[in-house]
Amino acid sequence: MRLARRYLAVHLPFWAAEHLRQSRPDLPADTPLALWARQGARRLLVALDHQAAAAGLEPGQALADAEALLPDLQVLPAMPEASAAGLRDLALWAQRFTPISAALPPDGLLLDITGCDHLFGGEAALLAQLTANLAEAGLSAQGAIASAAASAMALARVRRDAPIIAAGSEEKAVAPLPLGTALRLPCAMVEDLARLGLRVIGDVLRQPRAPLARRFGAPLLDALDAATGRRAPPITPIAAPPDLSVTRALPEPILTAEAIAALLDRLLVALCARLGRAGLGARRLCLTAWRVDGTEQRLMIGTGAPNRDPAHLARLFAEPMASLAPELGFERFTLHALATDPMGAEGQGALPMGAAPRPDGVLAQLLDRLGQRLRLARPAPQPSHWPEKQWRAAAPHEAPIATPPGWGVRAAPVLLRRRPEVVEVTASASAAPIALRWRGRVYPLTRAEGPLRLEPEWWHGGALPPARDYHRVQLASGERLWLCHAGGRWVVQGDLP
Amino acid sequence: MTAADPPSARSAALARLRDTLAGLTTRAPAGGAGASIPVFADTSLIGAGLVRGALHEVCAATPGSGVAFAAILLARCGGQVLWISTEQESNLVWPPGLIPFGLAPENLILARAARWPEALWAMEEALRCPALGGAVLMAGAGQGLDLTATRRLHLAAEAGGVFGLLLRPDGTAGASAARTRWHIAPLSSDAAPRWRLTLLRQRGGAPAGPWNVSFEATTGSLRLEAGSA
Repeated sequence: MRLARRYLAVHLPFWAAEHLRQSRPDLPADTPLALWARQGARRLLVALDHQAAAAGLEPGQALADAEALLPDLQVLPAMPEASAAGLRDLALWAQRFTPISAALPPDGLLLDITGCDHLFGGEAALLAQLTANLAEAGLSAQGAIASAAASAMALARVRRDAPIIAAGSEEKAVAPLPLGTALRLPCAMVEDLARLGLRVIGDVLRQPRAPLARRFGAPLLDALDAATGRRAPPITPIAAPPDLSVTRALPEPILTAEAIAALLDRLLVALCARLGRAGLGARRLCLTAWRVDGTEQRLMIGTGAPNRDPAHLARLFAEPMASLAPELGFERFTLHALATDPMGAEGQGALPMGAAPRPDGVLAQLLDRLGQRLRLARPAPQPSHWPEKQWRAAAPHEAPIATPPGWGVRAAPVLLRRRPEVVEVTASASAAPIALRWRGRVYPLTRAEGPLRLEPEWWHGGALPPARDYHRVQLASGERLWLCHAGGRWVVQGDLP
Repeated sequence: MTAADPPSARSAALARLRDTLAGLTTRAPAGGAGASIPVFADTSLIGAGLVRGALHEVCAATPGSGVAFAAILLARCGGQVLWISTEQESNLVWPPGLIPFGLAPENLILARAARWPEALWAMEEALRCPALGGAVLMAGAGQGLDLTATRRLHLAAEAGGVFGLLLRPDGTAGASAARTRWHIAPLSSDAAPRWRLTLLRQRGGAPAGPWNVSFEATTGSLRLEAGSA
C-alpha cells in the first residue's frame, strides 16, 4: 500500500501587512495598518493587520471610508511583488522542516511533511513549532495538517485550532467549512450558491454533480474534489537557489603571486562546476581574500556574456590580482558569483577536443578582457536628430541594433568635438560665413554650404534650447569643418571628411 | 651585374631580388592570396593592396580626412572593427558619419582608454584576436609610439591576422615598424570629398604618389583622378 502523503498548510491571514511591517520598523506597532491599491479610479483596501481587522475594517473597502471610520489608521500602498517575493523566502525558510515546500500566493505556505514529522516529535509538535517560530517573527499563522494539500489549505484558512486530520477523513473535516473563505471561490459564485441555500462545503457535496457542473462550470467541481481529497492537483515546490560561492581556508598563509593564482584556479574550477550543474554562467565574480591581520581585500571582475570557463575567468582576474597586498599572507579565500545568467551547455565541452572555438566566443572573450580596463560601446541608433544625441552607447555584447536607412546621412561629420570650440565668423548680408577666426588665426573660407536648420525637440517639453543652423565650410587648405550657429554664437562642432 | 647589362635585364634582376627579399623579410599573410585590401586601382603596392595581418599607418593632415580614409579601409576588411581612442582625444568618432564610407555601425565597437598605455595594450590584444576584422588606434600628438611599440603591434597583427591601422596626426610619425605609411590631405572640392594620397613608405617597395582621389559614395570606391599620379 502506498504511504499516504501528509501536507501541512499554513495560512497567514495578515501576511502583506505584517511583511511590510518587518521591513519598516519605523511604523508604530500599536496603531492599525492597512494597505491599499488602486482599482480604476478608486483606492481600495487590499490587506490589513490584525488591529485593523479587529476594528472592523475589511479588504475591498474604500480607503476614504476606512480612514473616516478609523482616524488613526496608517495607510500605505500595497507592494504585491515584494510580498510575493517575501512569501517565497518564507517557503525557503520552511525547508528546515521538510525538503518540499511551496508558496501559495497571496498568503499561504504548503509543506509536504510526509516522513518528516518524527524528527520534530510528531505532527502536532511540528505544527506547534512552525507557528511558534512564525509568531516570534511577528507573523500570525494558522496551520492544519491533512492528507490532501487542498484540504489542509481549506482547513487552515478557516480553523484556528490547528486541526490534524487523519488520512481518509478529509471529506468529513471540510464539510462544515464555509465556501467563500475555505475554497477562495469567486464572490459572484459564492453569492449564487448562497441564493440556492448552499453555504458550506457539505451542502454542495450533497447536490448532484451534473447540474452543478452545468450551472457553475468545472472550477467549482475541481475545487471541491481537491478539498475533499478525491483528486490531488500537483504542487510546485520551491527550489533553493544554488549556492554559488566557494571558500578555502588555508592551514598556512600564502603570499606569493604564484600560490594565489594556483589557489584561484582551484576555486574557479570548483565554482564553474557548480555553475555548470545549475545551468548558469557567471556575469560578476568577487574574490575576497582575508589577511592574517584580519583585514579583507576584494577583487571584482565582470563578463559581458555568461561564462563558466575557468581559464577565461582566470585571465580576467590576472589584471586586478596585481593590486592584492598580501603583506604577511592570506589565510582564507572566498570566490562568490554575485551575478549569473542562464547558460546552456553549448559552447562548453560540446566541441571535440582540439576543435577551434566559435569566433563569436573568441570575440566575446576579447571584449571581456578589454572591458576590464577600457570603456567599450557599440553605437546604437537613437530617435533624435540632434547630432550628439543621435546614437547611444550600447553594451558591446548585445546583438548589434540594425541601422535604420538614412540615419545620420544628412549631416555626416566623421568626428564630433567633445567640447565645441567657440570661433568668430564674419558673415555676409545673407548670413553665409565668409571668414573664420579660429585658434588665433583668420581663415578665409573658399566654400560654405548651408544653413541646415535643426529645430529643438519640442515634443520632449521643458525649456527649449535655441534652434541650430549648421554650415559646412571649407578652408583654403582644403580642410572641411562643421560649424554650428546657435543663439548668436558660432562653434566648430565637428570635422567633415 | 655590370654596367654593360641592358636596362631591361637589370630591372628584371632587381625585381627578382626584391621578391626574394620580400619573401625573406615578411611572412605570408594569414588569409592567403585574397586577403589583401585594395585601396584603389593602380597603386604601386606590393601584392596589389594593403596586407592583412600587418600594421599600417595613416598620417592625416586634418582629422576628418584621416578618419574617413581609415573608415574606407576598415570597411573593406570585413567583420567587426574595434576603434580605440583615449580620453584625452578632443574628438569623438561619430558613427553615423562613417556609414557613407561603408563602415556600418553594426560592425563597429568603440573603445576608450583612460590612458595611452592602456590603449596600446588594447590594440595589441585586439590585433591578436582572429575574430576581429580590423582595429584602429587613434594616436594623439604627444603619445609615445616608437619603433618598439609599433614592432610589437606589427607582430601581434601578424599573429592574429588582423588588419591594424594607426591613425596619427601629420608630422608626429618617427621610426616605425608599420608595413606601409600613408599621408592624406584634403583637397578643395565642390561635392564629394577629395584627398591627396601619398604612399610615404612601404616595406620592400618604393614610395609612390601623390594621387588625387575622390570618394564616390554610390559605388563606395576611391576614384583616381586623371593625370594625378
